[in-house]
Amino acid sequence: MRTKQEYLIRYKDGNLYCELADIWIDPSKPVKKALITHAHFDHFTFGCEEYISTKETAILLKERVGDNIKIKTFEYGEEFKINGINISFHPSGHILGSSQIRFIFAEEKWLISGDFKLQKDQTCKQYEIVKTDYLISECTFGLPIFKWDESNKIANDISKWITNSPEKTSLLFCYSLGKAQRLLNEISQTNFKGNIYSHGSIHKMNNSYRKLGIDIKDTIKIVNKKKIDELKGSLILLPPSLSKGSYLKNFKNIQTAFASGWMSIRALRKRSGYDKGFAISDHADWDGILEVVKKSEAKNVFFHHGDSEALSKYLVEKESINVLLLGN
Amino acid sequence: MSLKKFSELFGDLDSNNSTNNKIEVLKNYFLSNDPIDNSWAIYLLTGKSNKRFISGRYLKNLFSQIYKYPQWLIDTCYLKVGDSAEVITLLLKNKTNSRKKKLSNISLNKLLRETIPALSKLNEEEKNLEIKNLWETLPEDNHLIFNKILTGTFRVGVSIGLITKSISKLINIEEEIISHRLMGDFKPSIDSYEFLINKNINLQELNSKPFPFLLANTIEDKIFKNSINDFQFEWKYDGIRMQLIKRSGNISLWTRGQELVNKSFPELVEKMSHIKDDFVLDGELLVWNFKEQIAFDFSLLQKRINRKSPTRSIQIKYPIIFIAYDLLEINGRDIREIKLENRRIELEKYFSKWQIKTENNISDIFKICDLIFPKDWPDALTYKEKSRENNTEGLIIKKKTSIYSSGRKKGIWWKYKVDPMQLDAVLIYAKGGSGRRAGLYTDYSFALWKDKELIKFASAYSGLTNIEIKELDKWIRKNTIEKFGPVRSLKPEMVFEISFEKIQISKRHKSGIAVRFPRITKWRKDKKINDADSLENAYELMKKIS
Repeated sequence: MRTKQEYLIRYKDGNLYCELADIWIDPSKPVKKALITHAHFDHFTFGCEEYISTKETAILLKERVGDNIKIKTFEYGEEFKINGINISFHPSGHILGSSQIRFIFAEEKWLISGDFKLQKDQTCKQYEIVKTDYLISECTFGLPIFKWDESNKIANDISKWITNSPEKTSLLFCYSLGKAQRLLNEISQTNFKGNIYSHGSIHKMNNSYRKLGIDIKDTIKIVNKKKIDELKGSLILLPPSLSKGSYLKNFKNIQTAFASGWMSIRALRKRSGYDKGFAISDHADWDGILEVVKKSEAKNVFFHHGDSEALSKYLVEKESINVLLLGN
Repeated sequence: MSLKKFSELFGDLDSNNSTNNKIEVLKNYFLSNDPIDNSWAIYLLTGKSNKRFISGRYLKNLFSQIYKYPQWLIDTCYLKVGDSAEVITLLLKNKTNSRKKKLSNISLNKLLRETIPALSKLNEEEKNLEIKNLWETLPEDNHLIFNKILTGTFRVGVSIGLITKSISKLINIEEEIISHRLMGDFKPSIDSYEFLINKNINLQELNSKPFPFLLANTIEDKIFKNSINDFQFEWKYDGIRMQLIKRSGNISLWTRGQELVNKSFPELVEKMSHIKDDFVLDGELLVWNFKEQIAFDFSLLQKRINRKSPTRSIQIKYPIIFIAYDLLEINGRDIREIKLENRRIELEKYFSKWQIKTENNISDIFKICDLIFPKDWPDALTYKEKSRENNTEGLIIKKKTSIYSSGRKKGIWWKYKVDPMQLDAVLIYAKGGSGRRAGLYTDYSFALWKDKELIKFASAYSGLTNIEIKELDKWIRKNTIEKFGPVRSLKPEMVFEISFEKIQISKRHKSGIAVRFPRITKWRKDKKINDADSLENAYELMKKIS
């Protein structure tokens, strides 16, 4: 077996790094060359000399941080070479433009899953099964207590939640990029036909999605001084950062909810401070992670972004899969 | 009509809705379901169904067996979720897609009166098969309630007050009447529900029921401005508050938690039934040291509380006494509206009459509380400080002109508790919490210095705010030295002020001392670990008190 230093991809300063190509994956500090799996801010940092991503990710990033960054883009499946290593992006189903990244060097395949989900999502490309020898997978929800319901069921629950309290304004907190658009898409197919408002940050992302050809229901940009009566019985989408603090004082007679995979646990729901929680996630659940591990046919698996202890032990004991640790 | 409807109700009540919303939801539930299921719903919601049919551990083992899940994996999940019934519910998702016909509409009554109790009559193999069968036939969104009832852990954030209000709104009868009807051992049946919603108030029916208890408030500074003579002073006993009722010759013994506990204290019921008068007494039940005429520690009382029919030897080993401090009704006459000082005169009068006239001697099990007569407020303070000597918690101060109203009414009764004892200690271990605190480190162990070593002396869970808990949780994760299962040993760095009620020698603990009701009263971020107290300080504290 090789030492950790000899892996094609390993951890360096807390980030995934490929030494042979001198390239970093979603680095958290400025570097020369960075591969970006998707446009969420916890996967992006300012100051890199060059970014490489899918076309959609590049457009979303520029919408969010401005044109002042140098991004090279590739289509899904299109191979490019750096120092003799073949690299390609493949859909990961997390949000629009999100990708897994495959490396091929000397007939050895490595796959970085990026953030991913297997569930259907009409606002982005479906996860693509990619075969590999080595798999580096996220495991945010790596316990069998996490099992997602179909997203249309959740959307119907949300619709019921709003229509059962016609006197109230329903505030639904969700991430501005990805989750909000997926929810809008799903909710527009339910019985809820009232007005939907969205916060500026969400409104902007809706427009970007539309520009990229995704069908997102029209929403009204929320302005602080909207009349209370107008908002009665309607739905407002807001980013979670606004749930605490004075912003909520702009509204009267509200009910609040948070859309996140963590809301499947009662204790977390209670502690969240929201009136209600809807368990919907853009990450894979336990079965999703297991399916990807199996279908990728990887002989060696590494986990990051989550508590991987239980998942690793399970795969080793029950599935006889080799789970390894990436070096620091 | 069904478990399904009740599961929906639970979902509505469990989200953090406003009180008004919850009342409305309850009202609508009662309106749209049949009386028998309503009675079960009330039974469940008021927390009376705490019978454990099988343990959480058993449930987890069974799941592990049926679905071939390793036990350690279930245990890991439990650490995240904090509730066995919920863990199994989450794990059962998508597991039970069998082609069996679903029991989509089983009534609460059938489930709770037949299906679940029948489990206890089966042998282990049959029982396991039946639970598996129920998991497969009950719809998925009913699993949580089912598992919670099985394990006796059904709880929801609804107070009895809320149930009372919603029924009161439903039938337009004052809350007091409903709360009166709801007190005591509400048995699920059509009759009990119909009694509850009966629009005719029948005093006869209410005969055995206690009055709503009047509760004391924490002492307020403004009271010291009043004349000491306006108040009656009593010791604050650390026992079980109770109403002792005799009406039409029948004795009922009610705790403040609205439990009828005649069976636990048969010797008291027997003795009191010899008294000729009818009465309602408010008082405290204690395990009594007759030689020294003071109460024994609460821990001895605990040995009695949980026994439904104590043997003669238990009765002798832990002798009880009922100390009355108020007379609320005498021979059918409700005297709660007369002044406390006059009620006290009546109480004393009847007590001396009963002592003389009753055939059997009652004074070995029943007395009235002694009053204290401080000269002035500083003198009252001196009494309070002495309260540890006779195993009381301080003083109860009552306004002499007050009437006996219900609840924690302001400006009538106050508790003047003796100050807690305190030590500054170092946090050394943390353990994951359960229930609402699952996934957070919320159970802490604290240590005191002995020479240069830190020795564990107490564990505490309560006292920090939610924000502090989160902050400390983060710190704990970053400063763990070692993990042993759910417990982490920590870098000694954080100092907390720990308050407690009692300190005594204990051979069971490494520190040699045991404290009662330890709790965190301050996060001493200003202190370094060298500033924390030593075991010697603790011994000194113990000396000072005894």
